[in-house]
Order: sequence, then structure tokens, then C-alpha cells
Amino acid sequence: MTRIESLGLAAFIVLTNSALAFANEKEEPFRPEAGMFPPIEQAHAYRGELVFVDHANRRGSLRVEGTGKFYRNDPHPFALLPYGMVRYHDAPADLRDIPLGTVLHAHGFLPPDPKTSAVPVLPPANKDKDAGHYRGTGIFPAENHILLLEDEPSHCKRNGLVWHLESVHVKAHSGTILASRQPRTGGKTKVEPETMTFDAATRIWRGRESIRVSDLINENVWPASGQKALNNQAVLLGITWKPAPGDGLSGAFTRFHLSDIWLDDTSIEHASYFQTEKHNSFIRSRWMPAWVDSISYGKFGQAIVTLTLFGGMDTTLYDDFKKGVGGQINGAENTLKHTAGHYGPGHMASGGTITAVNKSSERVPLGSSGIQIDFETDLVIEAIRPGRVIRIRPGNWPKMQIPREEYLFNNRPKDRFPTPDIFPKY
Amino acid sequence: MKLNFARVVATLHLIVFILPSHVRSEEKPFRPEPGKFPPIEKAHAYRGELTFVDHANRRGSIRIDGNGRFRFTRPSPFALLPYGIVKYHGAPSDLRDIPLGTVMHVKAFLPPDPKTSSVPVLPSDNRLKRDGYAGTGVAPAENHVYLLEDEPSHCKRLGLVWKIQEVELKDNAGIIVAHRMSKSGNGDAHKETFSIDAATRFWRGREQLHISDLTDKNVLTENGIESLKDGVVFLGITWKPTPGGVFKRFHLRDIWLDKLAMERATHLQNETHKKFIMGRWMPGWVDKVEYGKFGQAKITVSLFGGMDDSLYADFKQGQKAMLAASENTLKHWAGGTAGTAQVASQGIVLDVSKPNKTVPLGSSGIQITLKTDLVTEGFRTGKVIRIRPESWPLLEVPREEYINHKRDGIEKRFPTPDIFPKY
Repeated sequence: MTRIESLGLAAFIVLTNSALAFANEKEEPFRPEAGMFPPIEQAHAYRGELVFVDHANRRGSLRVEGTGKFYRNDPHPFALLPYGMVRYHDAPADLRDIPLGTVLHAHGFLPPDPKTSAVPVLPPANKDKDAGHYRGTGIFPAENHILLLEDEPSHCKRNGLVWHLESVHVKAHSGTILASRQPRTGGKTKVEPETMTFDAATRIWRGRESIRVSDLINENVWPASGQKALNNQAVLLGITWKPAPGDGLSGAFTRFHLSDIWLDDTSIEHASYFQTEKHNSFIRSRWMPAWVDSISYGKFGQAIVTLTLFGGMDTTLYDDFKKGVGGQINGAENTLKHTAGHYGPGHMASGGTITAVNKSSERVPLGSSGIQIDFETDLVIEAIRPGRVIRIRPGNWPKMQIPREEYLFNNRPKDRFPTPDIFPKY
Repeated sequence: MKLNFARVVATLHLIVFILPSHVRSEEKPFRPEPGKFPPIEKAHAYRGELTFVDHANRRGSIRIDGNGRFRFTRPSPFALLPYGIVKYHGAPSDLRDIPLGTVMHVKAFLPPDPKTSSVPVLPSDNRLKRDGYAGTGVAPAENHVYLLEDEPSHCKRLGLVWKIQEVELKDNAGIIVAHRMSKSGNGDAHKETFSIDAATRFWRGREQLHISDLTDKNVLTENGIESLKDGVVFLGITWKPTPGGVFKRFHLRDIWLDKLAMERATHLQNETHKKFIMGRWMPGWVDKVEYGKFGQAKITVSLFGGMDDSLYADFKQGQKAMLAASENTLKHWAGGTAGTAQVASQGIVLDVSKPNKTVPLGSSGIQITLKTDLVTEGFRTGKVIRIRPESWPLLEVPREEYINHKRDGIEKRFPTPDIFPKY
């Protein structure tokens, strides 16, 4: 190849890449449609630190990582879509389970219905704006309605990734780790390694053991002081953020902190087990969320309601929905709050029987379980309409009373549709 | 005659027991005075489930146990006093460290200044009122918290332990009946029944076990689950809805089976909090200011209490330090582009005095005198400050934890109770 040909090829590659990048940047943000689970490929992906939680309304704030100085970023409000999924320690979770400070990966969309958004509605192009004050670009995306919110171990497990520890630098039980996120199956990709801090409060998990930095030093695995190569040891990391030296004008823009290091498969499976069990118990008491696909009306309030169960739960929960099993169905809101639950959701819910359970054999979008239920009831009420969110309980789940903040009583609009007023403006 | 004598004795006993409890419930609620650490004996004590946290403003909500149907109880807003102490796993902590759902013990007062309260101000006798099925005292006016501590911290502070009496398991769930008593075994024992399930974590030394291990004789002693009975443990208590007609039953998230396990949990929390305070600086308040000329002054401050001793030990005579104005929320002030340190005043620690008498809970008892040539409006007697010895790293504080002198309004200095929903 001549020099001119080489230059031509290089220019072509640059132009192609630039054009693609430009096309991506200019891509119209995606707004989910009612009654359809949106494709995750259309979501805007970002990550940030969980700084505020209003779990009863399934919303909170993230300090989103942008191109500037992380500590300067205002907490950015988000709301979970009704079918939005939270994952923690590679298991299903509720927002209340995630410790403040945890760095989470988010896949978000524009609000499906801006009029009833529980968080501020922003201009669609907001993610491309420089927020100023050294905060950089991308910290206030309009895509603040979340389909998937997952911590680092969940993100790695879902995508078949692990962290390779390259080296550790220790001083007084604190220090830094240099690591890169790589495919679990091998074949090292070219990823810029990331420097993260750890300290004496970092929890290290080995099998069923909870150990700490001092234990690794005592075992001569890590040095008491100085640097040691860790030869790409494969681990999973729990990532948080706390102010680090050098965050200021002359230092690192963003340096994350390690809350946990899982050294082996047993240790993360152990953590995952506890979180799964916790969430199973939670869903059994709050009932499985779903939405109504269609209704076949009979006479005198009788109807067969076809609904799709939301996704992301443990399979043992879905297995409890069986043909012929009795159950209850109750109206809910986009926040997944039960309606009229003062005497317990079981008091107001419509009883009936599951008459069919259909499992999709095709690939289902995230947010959906792919399981459709036909539920026959003789008390079809206003809350059970196509497109509406409901909660359903198979008969073998215990009847529980739920706490006051998790149900609606007088169904006041401000309780049904919480406004963004709770979020401070900086 | 014997019968009559017995009746008289029984009646006297009743009077003796009922009178003090009546006196307690009728006791005048206590309002802390500015510049004085209140006596904990005057605090109203209650416990409840942490249901909401606004850590940046040091406030949140608790579902208070009113001895009624717990799930009916609406979350009751609370604010930490500037010198209010939070303890978790037996160590100092920040509100952000406490998982939602944790059952906390509370010692609280009326708002020191109702006009600037960041939580609703309620009638001072509210703790005597019954709120339907929720029970009595579920929304006390004493919502300014002096001490907020989880169960292990409460037990450690008072020298208490839990002793397991019964364990009933079925399908990886069940109940535990336990007694809380003094370590010596003396004193009144408090008996309680808790639920446990497959998500309950059992800590033994360095190990984290799950409930199925309790029935595995290779994991516990050869007696398996029986070996837990009469065992002295610490309990991490939460709440979740209980099936059946149970009005209130707390749930066990953690059981520390031995001293080492508890100590390791305490150590991790202590290290977390030490780093936190080094990043946010030690809170205190100004006792007095001796003004010099041209902005120079000697400022004497009292450091707030409840921190690890190693943090206080970092304040040494003759060393440099930085002093920053703060608010009752303990928020910093910031301006310009370089963050909170830019608006702080530098100086030299002239004196560090430690008292040799008992100090009230919110105080460390340590007074620091700092000489600075930049005395600002934020350093007035009674005002809350943050102070950093030179040996602590100079870190940036995240956006929600400081007040920007240009961009933030009065509502950031004095957050209103509007954030809390009304049920």
C-alpha cells in the first residue's frame, strides 16, 4: 500500500468513525410507549453514586459520572419505571436494599408520560450539555426513568465480566488498586485500567469468610507497605465513592472507592443468596407486579384478566403461579404502591383463580418475565384495565399487612402521582 | 385478716410501681438550651424502624413502636441535633451508614428552636396521645435526636446481651425467643420473640453463615441448632410485615454468635466513620471568641462527642488547623472554585484542654483554642463549626453537603419540613 493509499484508508476510517459517533450522539432519545417493554438497546447508559432514596415511591438521586469533577455533581433525580429492575450483589433487590454511596449502572429512558413524572422533566438533549462549574457533560440526562439499576457485581455477572487486579499499593491499611474490567472467558481486551481506593473499612470476602485488609497483610498476601503486582487476579468489586485526595482542581477527576472485594465464586454466590432470599420474602409480602394486557368481560363483574408479570425476580417466585391456583389481584400505581390497603391489600383485592400460565419461548425484553397469566375474577374493578399496573398474589403466599407508606388510602392525586418537589435544587 | 393484709401490700406495690411510670409520662418535655449539652436523663426514649433518610440534612423518619399495630404507624420525622450521635454496630456512624429497616433506639428532645426546625413541630404532649390502632406515642414532639443507636450499640452502651431461649425452624424460617439482660445476669430481663428467615445472617468469628447451616451439624457443634440455646449473642433487629394476626414482631437481620464476630463488625464501622470525619472535619461549637485587631482572634471551641478517640488525639497544641463555619445540619460552606477549604480560616492550635470530670453525651469534653487572623461571621459564640487538624487529608465535600455562598438560598441553611409526606 502506497503512502497516499494508507492516508486515504486512515482518513476513511476516521470519517466513518466520526460519522457513526455523530449519528449516535444525535440519536433521538427514546421514550417508552404505554403497554410495551422498551428495548434496553435504546436506553441511555450511565453510572453514578446513589445519594438519596425515596423507596416508597421507587425514586432517588444519583451523582452521575460525567466528564468533569465528580464531587461537584449535584445529585440527579431518577424514578424507576414500574417494570424497572434493581439488582444488588447479583440478585433482585428493592431500592431500600442498596446502601447510600453505592455506585450503580443505570439504563434510563425519557419519562413515558412527562405530565405524571415523579422526577424533574428535562430537555431531551440534556445528556450532551456541559453543566459548567467543572462538572462536565452528561451529569443531568433527561433519561431519568430507569429500566435497570445494578451494582458493579450485578453488572459484571450480567455481562460476563470480572475485574483483573493488576497491582496494589498499601500504606497504613489503605491505598489504591489498579484494575481493569475484562471478559470472564479470557481474551484480554484493551481496557484502560482504573485506579480505585480502599481502606481499613473495605470488606474482603473469601468463601464464607469476611476478612479485611489487615488479614491479607498478616497472611503476606498483600504487603504492609508498598506496591505488589497481583498478576491479574480475577475478582468482583463493590464500588462506592468517597472524597479522595486529589479530587480538587489539580488531581484526579473521579476516583471510586472499594467497599467490597469478592475473591472467589463462593463468596459472591453467598452474598447473592442472602439478597435473593431477602427479595423473595419482600415480593411475597408486596405481591408480584405486572400489568394488564387485556380483559375479557363476562357478566356481573366477572372477567378474565390477561396480564404479564414483570421481570427480574427469582424463578421460584414465578414458579408459584400455576394453573388452577387461587389468588388475589389488586390495583397499583406506577410507583407499585397498592391502592386502598389500609386493612391490608388482601382486604381490598379481587379474588379469583389462575386459569392459564403461558411462558414465552422467545427472547423477552428486560422488564418482562415473559410469563402471561389469565386470572378469572368475579370482581373486576376500575384499577384493573388494560395498560394498568397491578399486583398479584398466588394463594400460597402469606397474607401480609404492608406498612403505611407503601399503600394509598384516600387515593389523593398527590399520593398517586408524587411530584418532584421533594428534590432540592442546587 | 391475712387476706386483707395481703391486699394492702399488693395495693401498695401497685401504687409504688404505677406512680413513677405516671410521673414519667407526665414529666415536662425538655427543650435544650443554646450552648448547653442537654442531660440525657431528660430525654424522651423510644424505638422504631428507620424508614427514610435525608443524610445531607441529618434527618429522616422512624416508624415508632407505640405498642399497637406497628404497620399502621406512619413514619415520624426526626432531625439530629448538631451534637446528636449515631451509633451502628457499636461504633460511631453517619445516618447514611444505617440500612433502611433497621430498628433504632432513640433519645430525643423538643426542638431547641421551633422556628428553624427542619421537621414538623408538634404539640409538646404528643407522646401521650393515642393514634388509633398504631398505639400511643408514635409521633412524639421530642423529634430532635440526641442519640440514635442500633440494637448492638444500645446493648454495648448499657452492658446488655441477648440470651437465646428458644429456636423454632421450619423451611428455613422460624422464630427465636430471646432475653435481653445485663452481662452479669442480674437485673430485669426483657423477653422478646423475633422472626428469622433465610436472609438472616449469622456471624461466627470471621464466618458468615446462613440459616440452613444451623441444622448442619458439621457447621455448628454436634448438637446443631440446640447449641444456640442459652448462647449469649448480639442481635441486629429490623422490621418486616409478619403473617397472621401478629401486631408487632421484629425481625432479625443479623445474629453475632460470638465476641470476635461483633468486634469485627464494630471495627469496620469505626474505620468507615473515621474516614468520614476526616473528610468532613470534626464538628464542634464556639464557646468564646477573644477578638484582637485586624480580624485576628482566639476562638475556643468544644468538640462534639461520640467519635473514635484517635480522631480527638489528632488535635495537638502548636499544630496548624483549619476552622470552617457550619450549620445545625453540620453542612459546610463553600465558595469560589476550590471548595470548602477555600472559605475556611487557618490558624494555630494554642491549647487543647481535656476535662477530668464526666461530660454530657453530646460533648467530647475537649476544648480547643485556635488563633486565627481571619475571624468571620460564622465564628460567633454558640455557632456550629467544623475543624480540621493539619494531619487530616484535604478532601473535597460533595455538592449536597455544603452550602454555596452564591447559588444556595436560605432554604439550604434552614431546610423546611416540606420534604416529609403527610399521611
